[in-house]
Amino acid sequence: MIEEPFAQGTSFIHNMEPRIKILAAFALSLAASLCSHFSIIRVYLLISVILVTAARLNFGALAKRLKPLFLFLSMIWFILPLTFEGRVLYHYGRIRITEPGILLSAMITFKSITIVLVFTALVATMTVASLGNGLHRLHLPDKLVFLLLMCYRYIAVIEEEYNRLLRAAKFRGFIPRTDLHSYKTFACLAGMLFVRASLRAQRVHKAMLCRGFNGKFHTLDVFLPNRFNSIFLRAIVCMSLGLFIYEQIWF
Amino acid sequence: MAENTGIIRLEDISYSYPGTDSKVLDHLNLEIFQGDRIGMIAPNGTGKTTLLHTIMGLCKPDGGTITIFGNALKNEKDFLPVRSKIGLLFQDSDDQLFCPTVMEDVAFGPLNLGFSHGQAVDMAKKTLESLGMSAFEQSITHRLSGGQKRLVALAAVLAMNPRVLLLDEPTAGLDNTVKERLIHILNQLDISYLVISHEFDFVSAVTDKIYSMENGRVLTNAGINIHHHDHVRKHSTLISTEYSLPGFFLEVQQHKKKALKK
Amino acid sequence: MHISEGVLSGPVLIAGAALAVAGTAIGLKKIDYDHIVHVAILASAFFVAALIHVNIGPSSAHLILNGIVGLLLGFSAFPAILTALLLQSIFFQYGGLTALGVNTVVMAAPAVAVHYLFLPFIGRSPRMTFIMGFLSGMAAILFSSLLLGLALWFTDENFFKTSLAVILANLPVMVIEGIVTGFCVSFLLKVYPEIISKKKANHD
Repeated sequence: MIEEPFAQGTSFIHNMEPRIKILAAFALSLAASLCSHFSIIRVYLLISVILVTAARLNFGALAKRLKPLFLFLSMIWFILPLTFEGRVLYHYGRIRITEPGILLSAMITFKSITIVLVFTALVATMTVASLGNGLHRLHLPDKLVFLLLMCYRYIAVIEEEYNRLLRAAKFRGFIPRTDLHSYKTFACLAGMLFVRASLRAQRVHKAMLCRGFNGKFHTLDVFLPNRFNSIFLRAIVCMSLGLFIYEQIWF
Repeated sequence: MAENTGIIRLEDISYSYPGTDSKVLDHLNLEIFQGDRIGMIAPNGTGKTTLLHTIMGLCKPDGGTITIFGNALKNEKDFLPVRSKIGLLFQDSDDQLFCPTVMEDVAFGPLNLGFSHGQAVDMAKKTLESLGMSAFEQSITHRLSGGQKRLVALAAVLAMNPRVLLLDEPTAGLDNTVKERLIHILNQLDISYLVISHEFDFVSAVTDKIYSMENGRVLTNAGINIHHHDHVRKHSTLISTEYSLPGFFLEVQQHKKKALKK
Repeated sequence: MHISEGVLSGPVLIAGAALAVAGTAIGLKKIDYDHIVHVAILASAFFVAALIHVNIGPSSAHLILNGIVGLLLGFSAFPAILTALLLQSIFFQYGGLTALGVNTVVMAAPAVAVHYLFLPFIGRSPRMTFIMGFLSGMAAILFSSLLLGLALWFTDENFFKTSLAVILANLPVMVIEGIVTGFCVSFLLKVYPEIISKKKANHD
């Protein structure tokens, strides 16, 4: 079952309007990803840590969320220092560790942690329903918002169907191995998922017609305009833009 | 509406799935009158769902005429106004609840009918409240239990103020508490409905007459009358275990219905 | 297959985002309102299929199946894959916001290519169907890893060896995706050919 461990909360970040959070997350992560100096990226990292702290997220869930990122980073630290050309810091026979490799690994580490923290603090702290609402109000195409919300809605349903199919296969003695039979079985399971998805889509479409669907998709606004929201957004955008310009001019 | 004509009338309807010859509906006739509370008990695969979808214009019959509220309906366009007046409760609530939150789902119908956001939200709130589901307004749809989903789906249908309800296996997969709640709700509704179900006890608790289906036709006659509660029990086990009741017309008489309600 | 945040350079990220927007716009234009539910729920299936792990010797890999999505959806694979990737980053923090464009192109462009390259041959004979399905699955992963390698290489020429490593590491995945896609397409054609028909079936 998919979970949204950060979506519920009482911090001021949770109470902010989805639109504002999406824009702020976008501005901050874009600026951070364009940054290339250690003295600047540290500021972004600091901002992201402040945001995560302000959102009062569950630390255990946060650590779990960062796990794939740390796996990826350890791979980066393993590969880049050995494969990059440049000033050699240390060598053992033909194995050389280069300075550019180390520096880039460090930069990637800073950047990715920053962007992931920003994303977690600002985007993962709303339900997908709110995200859809926000994107709709930011005038993304109706169809795309609709696609996002529908896709989200049926993931749990289809996952449950998959679990049932797999259980049934296991009851009949299926043990996954590295062989053609196993791959064929998984292929049929996946195929069955697509078949069921398609049949369900037909039924859902009928249900929509029954309720008068006419090509217009509505989301309900539940957020009141609030001065704090716009102040927050302005602060974040000014900070990102300021740091970006500062870096371009100064360095 | 005149006394002697049904609000829904199907005459001589035939339907077979595209690309097959076997007829799911074979010159079927059915008439539903204002105030009718009809139950339909029949084995799987006899075309009950197809019948409901035909009434809604979701399946296009190969032949026959559909008359609803006095108008003969032929193409997709004719069915559009009708769909908001007939509420179909789907067999699988997951098909029906496609919005991310309960509120958005229940308000979806009223919004499509052209009500403003405020009005639609009001209607949704009232409907949810009448079903005792107010606490779930902001819930995420896919996290509800099966019973909650069924009640929200019913709210979504009722929020459009339909004149007729068509219920497709409303008790499938529900536990007894929810079933009883559903019985209570249906018995308090003041609209006509047709219930398809496998469960004799449930059907007899919420309807006045019970039809069956066989060979693509609705059977309303050649029947037995049930006078006593004991008989109901006996027949209910018969039906629920074997579905071996072709051609039976079970008219549950008024006094028995009242007895069951209590 | 996706690239994490913070690796790619600004120009590569922006180019990826622009291509993703273009592909998504074309894809959305091709979806009418009667078909949008279909695309959405197939995107859900694509999301769930990525949770399926298959064994490769002592290790395991999850399925990707962008080849199948391409065969089933054509250009609509762009918005479908974009949606699924966005949800993946929300739930699991795979990929992310700034890399979303590049990741969408990496997964969806090969899906579209496979649609036009191999779909015309599917259904001619059971054997041809399996072979074309196999090629679809394999080519989709091959193209994806090439695109990912290119994105790295354009970011920094020093990434060349890393790019090669990415492509090499994906070789076994290519074979497995090929086999699974081959079987899967054969299965679909047997049990539910409408889903894969070349003319969009009128799902009514």
